[in-house]
Amino acid sequence: MRRILINVLLLVVAFTIQNCVFPLIPFLSATPNLLLILTFSFGFVHGKSAGMYYGLVAGILLDLFYSGPFGFYTLLFVNIGYFNGICTKYYYEDYITLPLILSLVNEIVYNLYIYVLRFLIRNRLDILYYVKEIVIPEMIFTVVTTLLIYRFFLFTDRRLREMEDRNRNRRDG
Amino acid sequence: MESKRSKYILIGLSVFCMLLIGITSFKDGFLNPLRNGIGYFLSPIQSGVNRAGTSLYNGISNYASLAGAMEEKQAMQEQIDTLVEENSRLQSEQFELNRLRQLYQLDQDYMQYQKIGARVIAKDSGDWFQVFRINKGSADGVQVDANVMAGGGLVGIVTDVGAHYATVRSIIDDVSRVSGMAQQSGDTCIVSGDLMLFGEGRLRITNISKDGDVKDGDRIVTSNISSKYLPGILIGYATDITTDPTRLTKSGYLVPVAHFDSLQEVLVITTLKADQTEQGGAGASDIPGNPDSTTGAETGLESGSETSAGSETGSQMGTGAETETENGAEAGAGLETSTEPQTSQSGEE
Repeated sequence: MRRILINVLLLVVAFTIQNCVFPLIPFLSATPNLLLILTFSFGFVHGKSAGMYYGLVAGILLDLFYSGPFGFYTLLFVNIGYFNGICTKYYYEDYITLPLILSLVNEIVYNLYIYVLRFLIRNRLDILYYVKEIVIPEMIFTVVTTLLIYRFFLFTDRRLREMEDRNRNRRDG
Repeated sequence: MESKRSKYILIGLSVFCMLLIGITSFKDGFLNPLRNGIGYFLSPIQSGVNRAGTSLYNGISNYASLAGAMEEKQAMQEQIDTLVEENSRLQSEQFELNRLRQLYQLDQDYMQYQKIGARVIAKDSGDWFQVFRINKGSADGVQVDANVMAGGGLVGIVTDVGAHYATVRSIIDDVSRVSGMAQQSGDTCIVSGDLMLFGEGRLRITNISKDGDVKDGDRIVTSNISSKYLPGILIGYATDITTDPTRLTKSGYLVPVAHFDSLQEVLVITTLKADQTEQGGAGASDIPGNPDSTTGAETGLESGSETSAGSETGSQMGTGAETETENGAEAGAGLETSTEPQTSQSGEE
């Protein structure tokens, strides 16, 4: 219960930072996509269904912020949480290469999704321009941030588990 | 077994999302209570984080800018001198203008719309969309389709309103279309945001008729025939106007007046164009091929919100809006007969 609460809190904090703090920093030409990182980390560490629910919350948060069609981001994030959860069988704690690759793939999927559904259908065909100007900077930032966030995420997760174990032991003993 | 179940849930959720997307594309608004509720909790957090972030950043940048400040002060002083001089000149011109206006019984002053100030508390972090959120909402009189200004120029339009927040889509967003006109000649055009030009700090101007008199450096303001934008708000200056290959229209670029990369405070005009047209009897929104509608998936959404805003706000405009009503009607005189506003006003009394 507490675990869920803390994770939701983490999501809200990430969402707030992403929308309120990053845009204030003028020299950042692109900003890392924190919600995406958190969603896929959660899916990767805890498996399919957990990732899916986490993606659901993250997507709803984003959908509430934007005034476009509701469900646009939820659809994407639910799927990202789920499909990254499939890779959970390759997960062990100090393995950083696979999360980085996953982060890269997710970022490409995320931007492609937005491009195709919000730009390509309006006949904006110059994909190379968008890739060069938006996708690649954001990708670099996100992958670099993944290094930090993923570590932080694992750390929090371990602490939470330890705390739970201790509580259980106390109750049992 | 467990994996199969989560697969079903995934499919279920995906289908549900698609359904929601479908429904909300055509009929926005029934989820507004939900958005409102969440915004009620979230916008104070956003406000707080934003304030903390800003003060932190300002503290750091204060030191950095101290060196340049002295130099700037010199330049400012010179600027003040010229401005004072210019101000006195403008004042005398203002008197003349007033007299002439009385002569023509045209007391239209576009800048007398009611405005409230608001702070930008959140922005879309990605580069795909140019939307931001402000800390004033329906409780402060902000409505959907309210025009937003900063630095003397048009910034955007409110697309979504909660009790204490509102989402603004800026005119540099890729889906934004503003019906504009050259202030001198009155030739209409369409100012559209373009993600590919945004990096250069420009917007696109299209659909100027080939005989239209729009030159480089002309002031482009919002046009009278726009259904959502109040007339006469400065958008920017035209540059690089060329004739299209089709020889039927001209197009070019626009340098906006507002600085979009450093937006912190904005002004929201609480008067809506829909109110003006409703009261003045000028049905600007009935014009076919209305250029203000956004393209693509949002079209249904936009028109839906437009009607809802129009219906709910008609009563809010008190008698203080009389002069503005006249403005709107007068401005639209090219389209409507000038007797209409008078009849509608007498009907009101």
